[in-house]
Amino acid sequence: MEKNDALGFIETYGLVSVLEAADAMCKAADVELVGYENVASGLISVVVRGDVGAVKTAVEAGIKEASKVGAIYSSNVIARPHADVQKIIVKYVIDW
Amino acid sequence: MEYFGEEALGLVETRGMVPAIQAADVMCKTADVVLVSYENMGSGLVTVMVKGDVAAVKSAVEKGAAAAAAIGEMTASHVMPRPISRVGKIVSRHDIDAE
Repeated sequence: MEKNDALGFIETYGLVSVLEAADAMCKAADVELVGYENVASGLISVVVRGDVGAVKTAVEAGIKEASKVGAIYSSNVIARPHADVQKIIVKYVIDW
Repeated sequence: MEYFGEEALGLVETRGMVPAIQAADVMCKTADVVLVSYENMGSGLVTVMVKGDVAAVKSAVEKGAAAAAAIGEMTASHVMPRPISRVGKIVSRHDIDAE
């Protein structure tokens, strides 16, 4: 993962809406799906990375689409994640 | 980062991973603390732990908890000024740099 990439997160209740969010995010802007995490109790989140502007647009689009099929719990964009945060993120990386 | 106790420990627990990561990011940026651990406890609760000087940890936890509460549910935050070394042993089991 490149060092200066912004990170975008969407966390929803259930797999259906999180898949919709992931799809919408990757289609809406030039972002790459980093990974996903099943937090338990129905909470699932997806992480994307890319340029700040792209990530912001992607997260907005992801929320819009996912809220049509399910409930969104939380979302966030970190423009320039701290190096220690990358240690958490690498735990979710899906090896495509 | 390895943690052996006898040094201030800050904890922020949230429901869901997004607020927890936001807390971790804000904590590491606002004060001179380092990330020790990240743990998904189950039932949707996620905890992040940082270590550093007492004042730095206090400041970091305050800001981190506020940032987490702004985008999700913050269930607990705490600063342990000087845990005994055995607490450090428990914490080091969840070390983010391990494996």
